[in-house]
Amino acid sequence: MSVATNSLSSEQLVFKGLKQGLTLFIPEEKAFTYWLGVLDEQLERAKTFFQGGSILVELGDRKLSPSELSDLKAVLAKYQMTIKAFNPLAKKLFSPRTKPEEPEPGGVLLFKGTVRNGQRLEYNGDIVVKGDVNPGGELIATGDIIVLGVLRGIAHAGVRGNLEAEIIALTLAPVQLRIAHIYSRAPEGMEAGQGPEIAHIKGETIVVERL
Amino acid sequence: MAARVIVVTSGKGGVGKTTTVANLGTGLALRQKKVVMIDTDIGLRNLDLLMGMENRICFDLINVVENECRSYRQALIKDKRVENLYLLPASQIKNKDALKAEQMIKLVEQLKEEFDYILIDSPAGIESGFENAVAPATEAIVVTNPEVPAVRDADRIIGLLQAKKIYEPMLVLNRLRSDMVKKRDMLDVDDINDILAIKLLGVVPEDEQIIVATNKGEPVVFNQQSKAGEAFRNIVRRLEGEAVPFMSFNTEPGVFGRFWKMLHGK
Repeated sequence: MSVATNSLSSEQLVFKGLKQGLTLFIPEEKAFTYWLGVLDEQLERAKTFFQGGSILVELGDRKLSPSELSDLKAVLAKYQMTIKAFNPLAKKLFSPRTKPEEPEPGGVLLFKGTVRNGQRLEYNGDIVVKGDVNPGGELIATGDIIVLGVLRGIAHAGVRGNLEAEIIALTLAPVQLRIAHIYSRAPEGMEAGQGPEIAHIKGETIVVERL
Repeated sequence: MAARVIVVTSGKGGVGKTTTVANLGTGLALRQKKVVMIDTDIGLRNLDLLMGMENRICFDLINVVENECRSYRQALIKDKRVENLYLLPASQIKNKDALKAEQMIKLVEQLKEEFDYILIDSPAGIESGFENAVAPATEAIVVTNPEVPAVRDADRIIGLLQAKKIYEPMLVLNRLRSDMVKKRDMLDVDDINDILAIKLLGVVPEDEQIIVATNKGEPVVFNQQSKAGEAFRNIVRRLEGEAVPFMSFNTEPGVFGRFWKMLHGK
């Protein structure tokens, strides 16, 4: 297939219109100088189409040396093109997955009063409510949730995936309980238990027990 | 003069906000307080109907805030039955966007000079209309009915009021039917107190006389025979700081009633 490298039709660089703008994809395989040659030929043929544009360049994992970068800029400059930014895909797909923030150790949010319908408490750590959580109220914590009152709303403990997280309430009568990725709701028509209860994960489900 | 500026609101529609404003306004005026009721339900005005004042409207709230009349006094409608009772009606042809919160605050600042009570009738919902009604108020009455959606919305409203620094709103529970509560078919006062946990100002029983009063344009608080009228009179007294025991809505017949039943075999 070595002949094909000179054939104009077989290997071409891909330009794609992404949300961020027109993007040139340079594969990670083969030498960078090879692709520069291909690019030069391609732009030569489509001069008028690309002329004067500012584009994005997607390199994948390839790293460019300073000289490679200036070569690329030189080729593009021949056709009055400039580089707006590099690797538009990386920001979108990979950055949110890198290292979630760790909860601050021992961080506790103490809330005094009623968490009402439409109100939401979110905290990176544990949440303690000295009062009730009404239907429509939400508590979201990366750690444990403790309600010194009636929990009637929604509680989501261990929201970043902490399976050890627990939900404790003096009266547990929630619309829904969530721990890590597991959701559960009270069975229809079940009365709230008397006295304090604790909810935690056993196996693949959330179980509620007397405290 | 230290006027009390009270917004009457509910979130949910149709629970009796306007009825409450009409009766509290009238009840306070009957106690020689100088009262103005402001209808902020622009486009859906009703308070004038409940007060029987519809045919006397010349200028409205929007005319006042847009300076289209000489002063707010020109727009105020004076009640013919009670001294010291005035209504500032809503505009019927504009919509909620015609009013701004700053305009309400400015207007109420002027009214404070002249009145003891400024009652603001809020529209349903939690959008701009609600915001405008709450903006000038320093106290709030939340009206709800003994049913789950109304209580949920009241809870939401209480949260929103607290966010606006009205930390201790008062509750009026309207349209309670003791026969249904007894059969556990309706939430009772305790259920609602448990959830909302704010000061209960009063409980108004379901009463046909309300419908009659609404259609006649004569607030039920005038009616000495009506249970609802009595409930509103009690609410007025509590609002004024009197300790009034809550009415019993026991519909069980008393000794005489039982005797009567025996005689009539019912």
